[in-house]
Amino acid sequence: MPEGSTEAGTGTQRRTPQWGMAIDLDRCTGCEACVVACASENNVPTAGEDQAAKGRTKHWIRIDRYYEGDFPNIRVRHRPVLCQQCDEAPCEPVCPVNATYQNAEGLNVQIYNRCIGTRYCAINCPYTVRFFNWYPPEWAEPLGLQLNPDVSVRPAGVVEKCTFCVQRIKRAKLNATAEGREVGDGEIQPACVQSCPAEAMVFGDLSDPSSRVARLANSRRAQRLLEELGTKPRVFYLERAD
Amino acid sequence: MATTGTRGGPVGHAQVCEDLVARMPGSSPRYVGAVAVCGAIVAWALFAWGYQIANGFGSTGLRRPVYWGLYIVNFVFWIGISHAGTLISAILRLTGAEWRRPVTRAAEAITVFCLMIGGLFPIIHISRPWIFYWILPYANERMLWPNFRSPLFWDLTAILTYLTGSVVYLYLPLIPDFAEMAERCTGARRRAYRWLSLGWRGSDRQWQALERAMKLMAIVILAIAVSVHSVVAYDFSMSLTPTWHNTIFPPYFVVGAIFSGIAALVVVMATLRRLMGLQEYLREVHFVNLGKLLLLMSLIWGYFTFSEHLTTWYGNLPMEMDVFQAREHGVYGALFWVMVTCNLAIPLLLLGVSKLRRISTTVVCGIAVLIGMWLERFLIVIPALSTPHLPSIWGGYAPSWIELSITAGTFAAMALLYLVFVKAVPIIAMWEYEGEATPR
Amino acid sequence: MDRRNFFRVVGTASGGAITGACGRKSEEIIPLLVPEEGITPGVESWHPAVCGECAAGCGILARVMASEREIEVDGERVRQRIATVKKLEGNPNDPTSGGRLCARGHAGLQALYGPDRLRGPMRRAGPRGAGRFEAVSWESAMQEAAEALDSAVAEDAGRVVFLSRPRADLRAANIAKFLSALGAPPACAVGVRDFAAEVQGAERAYGWRGIPAYAIRDATLVLSIGADFLSGWVSPVLYTRQFGHMRRGRPGVRGRLIHAESRFSLTAWNADRWLPVWPGGELALALGLGRALVDLGAGASPTRAVEAARAAFAEVDLDEASAACGMSAGTIREVATELAAASAPVVVAGASIVREHSADAVAAASALNVLLGRVGVAGGVMPPPTVLADLVEARPSSNRWRERLANANLVIIDGANPAYSSPSCREALANAGTVISLSSFVDDTSAYADVVLPDHDPLEREAVALPSASLVESVACSARFVAALHDSRPADSVLADLAASAGKPFEPLDAQGALTRLHATLGAGNGAGSSEGFVESALEQGCWQGRPASGGTTGVIGLGAFEVADSMVPAVFQAYESLQFGTGGGANRPWLQELPDPTSSAMWGLPLEIDPVTASELAIENGDIVRARSDHGSLEAPAYVNPAAIPGVISMAMGQGHSQYGRYASGRGANPMSLLGDMRDRRTGATAMGPVRVHLERLDKGKGLIQFSRQDRDVPPHRV
Ligand SMILES: Nc1nc2c(c(=O)[nH]1)N[C@H]1C(S)=C(S)[C@@H](COP(=O)(O)OP(=O)(O)OC[C@H]3O[C@@H](n4cnc5c(=O)[nH]c(N)nc54)[C@H](O)[C@@H]3O)O[C@H]1N2
Ligand code: SF4
Ligand code: SF4
Ligand code: SF4
Ligand code: SF4
Ligand code: SF4
Repeated sequence: MPEGSTEAGTGTQRRTPQWGMAIDLDRCTGCEACVVACASENNVPTAGEDQAAKGRTKHWIRIDRYYEGDFPNIRVRHRPVLCQQCDEAPCEPVCPVNATYQNAEGLNVQIYNRCIGTRYCAINCPYTVRFFNWYPPEWAEPLGLQLNPDVSVRPAGVVEKCTFCVQRIKRAKLNATAEGREVGDGEIQPACVQSCPAEAMVFGDLSDPSSRVARLANSRRAQRLLEELGTKPRVFYLERAD
Repeated sequence: MATTGTRGGPVGHAQVCEDLVARMPGSSPRYVGAVAVCGAIVAWALFAWGYQIANGFGSTGLRRPVYWGLYIVNFVFWIGISHAGTLISAILRLTGAEWRRPVTRAAEAITVFCLMIGGLFPIIHISRPWIFYWILPYANERMLWPNFRSPLFWDLTAILTYLTGSVVYLYLPLIPDFAEMAERCTGARRRAYRWLSLGWRGSDRQWQALERAMKLMAIVILAIAVSVHSVVAYDFSMSLTPTWHNTIFPPYFVVGAIFSGIAALVVVMATLRRLMGLQEYLREVHFVNLGKLLLLMSLIWGYFTFSEHLTTWYGNLPMEMDVFQAREHGVYGALFWVMVTCNLAIPLLLLGVSKLRRISTTVVCGIAVLIGMWLERFLIVIPALSTPHLPSIWGGYAPSWIELSITAGTFAAMALLYLVFVKAVPIIAMWEYEGEATPR
Repeated sequence: MDRRNFFRVVGTASGGAITGACGRKSEEIIPLLVPEEGITPGVESWHPAVCGECAAGCGILARVMASEREIEVDGERVRQRIATVKKLEGNPNDPTSGGRLCARGHAGLQALYGPDRLRGPMRRAGPRGAGRFEAVSWESAMQEAAEALDSAVAEDAGRVVFLSRPRADLRAANIAKFLSALGAPPACAVGVRDFAAEVQGAERAYGWRGIPAYAIRDATLVLSIGADFLSGWVSPVLYTRQFGHMRRGRPGVRGRLIHAESRFSLTAWNADRWLPVWPGGELALALGLGRALVDLGAGASPTRAVEAARAAFAEVDLDEASAACGMSAGTIREVATELAAASAPVVVAGASIVREHSADAVAAASALNVLLGRVGVAGGVMPPPTVLADLVEARPSSNRWRERLANANLVIIDGANPAYSSPSCREALANAGTVISLSSFVDDTSAYADVVLPDHDPLEREAVALPSASLVESVACSARFVAALHDSRPADSVLADLAASAGKPFEPLDAQGALTRLHATLGAGNGAGSSEGFVESALEQGCWQGRPASGGTTGVIGLGAFEVADSMVPAVFQAYESLQFGTGGGANRPWLQELPDPTSSAMWGLPLEIDPVTASELAIENGDIVRARSDHGSLEAPAYVNPAAIPGVISMAMGQGHSQYGRYASGRGANPMSLLGDMRDRRTGATAMGPVRVHLERLDKGKGLIQFSRQDRDVPPHRV
């Protein structure tokens, strides 16, 4: 688990938080509210029928669903999959132009302007949560009015992915600084977390042992996806009980 | 063994020069026609590339999760073939294999042209090619260095080094011939050849310096060649993609490179021999010797391929088995068995039996191996990418007309470069024929 | 040191060697080209609103920011700065949404900005149903509508038919006022998703009026019979929230869920045990369970209600019930035993897929709660709220709408799309005297309209709505906070204008008025303060919330006698409400079209879900185009071989197959309702969604199915 450093920062934010997420699969119903919430918050364009048929949709978060067994002893295993914000992110070292890197708060961030479009990061992400902009994004008038001005609209030719809603993190930090306090636990809610009706997702500072997310990440049910690859993801899944 | 008058061919340096210069193509309709056809295909490919840049990468057949497609296949393929020059020229030069002499230049030219073509693919492959130079470690006011940890950066460095080295390595033995050509021409061509010959007069000091330089370059280029294809292999083996993350890849890639390089050389030589009437220079012995090398490489390649697949299959790691299954049985199964036939069955059958080893059989094997090795690159890249770790996002790939056009264009570009090259310089090093007694 | 760290060190070292001096970490060098985190957030404000996407009536918040758009003014393109809604979230004050939202709720934004939304009133310019319209001014559109209304009322006000949505809200109240001013009969809902079976079931079992709410959050065992409450049923957000709490919200307690349904719905996914009942077998299952509970001695402290329930169940033959629903008697006894043993069980009685006997099935399942003593207690079933009873009264129901439509001299449509949900009513629409639509889009039904008078989007108008289910007395409400994007008018004032011009004026109710009335009915001593303060605070909060709905005692029981109906007919088809599109309304939102269908992972289309046994008999594979034929109609759709489908049961979600509904939905896929004809629940008349017998035929091998995930299984067949 990542350690937070306590070196002096700007404003009243004294520690460097280490963002992470916990997703309780015993709560998650697979309702996909998070999927639409993310598209809405992050200006993720729809690909359209033709492009969808070619496997070019962008879902920064998706629900992986697998059937197990056969009727009548059948069940479904499902899991929301978003960028796991790996501490040892395989997508990072391969980028020749440093367009993707881990910032001090543990976010795996993408600088669209830097990206030259090798798509190396995209093939080297074992979770396949990086998406390529095949065409310039389009919104039929007046759908463009829905766009969130806090988030860049990505041009054709660059790779994008879940940012942990970095714009919401920034807003919360600015608000906290303006009010002369630190960001409280649970104050930052990425759009998917905010929306989740089952309250299956919890976001927060993993380096603060008293935070909800840290406690869940330490739970006995917590596992990480493809942990065996050594990617050290920051998304913890609390496995279903049965 | 160089120029045996007994067989009716030219004897001695002067006649060789005479003969070879005479065989350089003029502006016959056939030559012009060939240039026009190749040029048209290349122009079409350039149009396709332009279309891709203008209309976005959506015009390719790429998709999630197959973010890499034919461009990477072609990249590995062409960089692999570029090993023709290195092997024939450098290894044979260093080991003093005398039969190599008529084939070295043809081989070295393959290296340079293949690198030029192969080296273009990373630029074609990226979606914002106008800023490809951001990978270069050039100084700028932003102090934005490329990522030295990225295998793509290593690739770029390796290929640029290899290209520079190969150009020098091709150029050095051309210097005496440029001087020779200057003697035989007039006007602008004469001035050009003279300029290219860098003031070569053929003095002993110059010969000594040239030979030292060639020997040194042979050693250097050999090391670079091995490292280049290892680095190309690192592009894959440094990743976490199942079956790519594999220690066998660097040597496997180098072996495949040499294998396809020899095959390409055989095909190029046969073509030159036929079209330029070089039967007296490129004789059965050359093909048979290259055929033996091809056979050897086929066996080594077969051994590597077998080891790679056996360990995957025996290890039975679920995620690797998904790729294995896709490659051996699924959609790609047919391609896999064509590859095995081309790379193993055909060479073993035609070259393994000494009675069958002839010019014609060697050429058939050369063509087969080129097809087989292209398929090998394809089967390394595509099935692994279409079956990544999490099955929910598996997906197939079919190239679009853009990728197919550009692929065809690179073969035409290779032919075009060669057509221009053989018109400008003698394809067989004239100076190597100083006389039977003094092979240099 | 691990591998990637090794390269990090090598990278930094070689980088450092070349840069010479600079010892800065790479991340300090890089952000010179602004990364996302460097962007300064803009100025935002949040306003309460009420979600209009389904009847649940969630209170939501709209994020409003400044935008620019280009409009035409006197033939010139000019840029206009406007306040626009950027995002929707749940309103944390609202007891229904609790600050959360479902997928469809988010996509309400794409209705507001739908590119095919009508820019102004339209007059029909082609034959009815063709969907060809010409733009007209409000004056002439209103005149045309007023004339039609005048002559219809003059002829016979009893033949004026108003088709609307089954919601208890401001709109319903105003429609009721409008109709009573005209002397016309009350509005009809068109019979899908009006929860008529649930309402009748609650009345028969508990003596309550309205849709009951289940406090599953505090239950230890939830048995749901026919209620897919995690996806489309009464209030998905409310129930998903409760589900999360039931599962992991209480230290040391993990609630158990058993789900009985004829398809492997989202609720079945999440159940600890799925009881695959044959379509139509819900009634038999509930009766069998009742009988088994009676045998176990449930209902020991008899009240009148318990006695009635015991009497009803004692008649049941368990083996007969078992044979009629496809669950073994052993399984039924097992579940009954679990129910009897649980400390806080509750039976969620619903009809996600309405059948001919749904009202009976829901009543019987509800009676199980009576038997278990779970009515009006913590973690049990709770009565519907009682505030603003006139809004509840005004809630349209599906009472004989088809018969009335067939005889209509004037049809007014607001929030209903019967041409889609009951395609067989198209003829009646084509033959009706005059058809007036208040829709914002040209959909299947408004294509039949003579005049379309486009309503404001729900986000552009004020609202007061009662949630379809709530554990507390509550109302969601909102004031207007953005200007209308297009030349639309709120239907409430359009109706008032029409009534006035027909000489039958009425005073439309507005949010202020409804809330004032609410304040008055709460009476003194409720701590609500002054009327003005009450209204202001409610509009500011986006909701009003009162006491927990109470009703511990069970009213008069009218269960009546049940009959086990044998449902076991092979090769049956059923339609169901999809997660993404509901009963079809969501189909014109691109976000939802591209949202993978939970069952099949299909995008931009919906498949016929065929069970593996039937599929292998007919050699059908995923993506093959299949024709399904019933006695009532036929359709062609791509196949999805659903590994979890009950052998012999073919299902298809509603959502696609619109003849008219804008660029994203028109002509896409097939409408499952076209196979069903005029099937109804025998007691309530609600539109039944199956089962009907179907005949399947494979037409084409092909790639008819676009799937996000083509791989169904984590472990591909070769690994097994
Ligand atoms: N006294 C004085 N005042 C001046 C001037 C002057 O000369 N003197 N000059 C005037 C002139 S010419 C100008 S242009 C203005 C400039 O004034 P501003 O418009 O305030 O420009 P910046 O100060 O560069 O701040 C831009 C902000 O946008 C953020 N940003 C960068 N990229 C994006 C993006 O893609 N999306 C979003 N949402 N944010 C982004 C940056 O992080 C930065 O915080 O100042 C004017 N005011
Ligand atoms: S919103 Fe929550 S419950 Fe729904 S799929 Fe996403 S994580 Fe699961
Ligand atoms: S999940 Fe993929 S994209 Fe995200 S940090 Fe890890 S490797 Fe990179
Ligand atoms: S696609 Fe962009 S971010 Fe990804 S490795 Fe290439 S340049 Fe870097
Ligand atoms: S954290 Fe934000 S960007 Fe990432 S999946 Fe959730 S909503 Fe999308
Ligand atoms: S449940 Fe219904 S009312 Fe609530 S957010 Fe979803 S669509 Fe809107």
